[in-house]
Amino acid sequence: MKDFMLVIIGDSYADLNLSPEQIQERMGKWFAWTEKMKAQGVYQGGNALTDTIKRVSGPDRVVTDRASTEVKELIGGFYLVKARDFDHAVEIAQDYPDYDLDGTIEIREIMHY
Amino acid sequence: MQQQKMVDHLFRHQYGKMVSILTRIFGLKHLETIEDAVQDTFVTALRTWQNGLPENPEAWLTAAAKNRALDLFRKLSAEQARIPKLDNGPSAIALNELFLESEIADSQLRMIFAACHPELKPQDQIAFALKTISGFSQKEIAASLLLKEETVKKRLVRARKNIIESQLQFEFPAGTDLVPRHNRVLEVLYLIFNEGFHSTQQAFLVREDLCAEAMRLCKMLLQNEHTRTPSTHALFALMCFNLARLNSKIDHNQQVVSLKHQDRSLWDNQLIQVGHFHMSLAVETNTLTAYHYEAAISAEHASAKTWQQTNWPNILHWYEQLNVVQPSPLIALNRAVIYVELKEFETAKVILESVSVSELEQREYLYHGLWAEYHHKKGDKQKALLAIDKALALVTNQAERVYLEGKKAKYTT
Repeated sequence: MKDFMLVIIGDSYADLNLSPEQIQERMGKWFAWTEKMKAQGVYQGGNALTDTIKRVSGPDRVVTDRASTEVKELIGGFYLVKARDFDHAVEIAQDYPDYDLDGTIEIREIMHY
Repeated sequence: MQQQKMVDHLFRHQYGKMVSILTRIFGLKHLETIEDAVQDTFVTALRTWQNGLPENPEAWLTAAAKNRALDLFRKLSAEQARIPKLDNGPSAIALNELFLESEIADSQLRMIFAACHPELKPQDQIAFALKTISGFSQKEIAASLLLKEETVKKRLVRARKNIIESQLQFEFPAGTDLVPRHNRVLEVLYLIFNEGFHSTQQAFLVREDLCAEAMRLCKMLLQNEHTRTPSTHALFALMCFNLARLNSKIDHNQQVVSLKHQDRSLWDNQLIQVGHFHMSLAVETNTLTAYHYEAAISAEHASAKTWQQTNWPNILHWYEQLNVVQPSPLIALNRAVIYVELKEFETAKVILESVSVSELEQREYLYHGLWAEYHHKKGDKQKALLAIDKALALVTNQAERVYLEGKKAKYTT
């Protein structure tokens, strides 16, 4: 088994105007996905990220604030999973709940030395 | 970890609670800010709960609402708006008390009365109530009331504007104000329920949601001593009797099934029993309202084992009483339906001819549909077909159209 990171990319929920009912429904789908990964023993961890973004860049270590709305591909969170290969990781990513909201999962293998 | 399940509609109901509590603290004029803040809480919950539910989701949300109250306090005082002090001292204790179950119920009742305030236009009251108390989104309100989202938005904006302009207070009406204000609340709940019950749109769940919301709010009224009146019990009983029959109103092909042909084994007997219980409390008064009579009619239908066993004399009696407290051409139409059913054609004809058709407005098709049935039952095929064509020319609702077309086919054969 190899280690992968599923990077969750999509609009901030704060900007999608979901109703309380829709939020609850979506949450149910997130639970189901996490539970399934745990049941299959592939889940290693994961977290959601807040919308606050600070960037430090360049030789001068310039600190800039970015609003989540200006970021084209906003990273909303990540999961760490065990998978046999990329195909298996893609299979795990099938249950991500936000494809209908134009969300994306980017799969990256974690490098081991 | 054991899979936990969230209570159905927890967020929707929690939304109404939180908005009501915060409005009690900050006042109706800050409603928009409050609603945004509560919405934020749910978005946060969605993200932080992704890996698992907290032990007690409701308590988590309530704690979040408290934090929101403090955030809002800071935000609004930064904007130098006039707001109550609650950062320390006795008022901080008061803040905690507002989150007690009994006080939450009180805040929600105040919100119901605010939503049904006479300063708001009647058509705005329903949209506003669904948004603020029931946590429906604009889109969900539009879908359930068959309106354009833009129309709903306009109504909500106008309601909020009226509230601010007339400086509406977030209070429970007192003294002589209570009875008329309470009556209007019952009317709004009745309308919300009927939107769900009588609409024949395809999206079945939306209808049930509206009925369930109206009943939930009615139940809240029953939990308070000032609003626990016989007419509230009667309205609740009416909702029980009607809702008990909802599942049989539409068949698996999404077609309307008339009461006569409904599968009565699908009726919810438990709910009918609850209805009878509230009916027994509703009649502890000398003042019987339209809700009493409508509930009585619905109870007669709910108690009949078969269509043939329906107690028509009783129902006719209730309709006559109903017509006294609330005259309407629809009641006449309903009475005529019964006489046609009983094949008492002369009486049916007299009643039908007395109906002022123009008052029926968009329900005029019902009138012609009934004439069609009248002629059909009398064996006059030609007149039946003429009448059903008149009905078909007027009907706008798709499911009702299909129903009438089914009748026409039956007349032709």
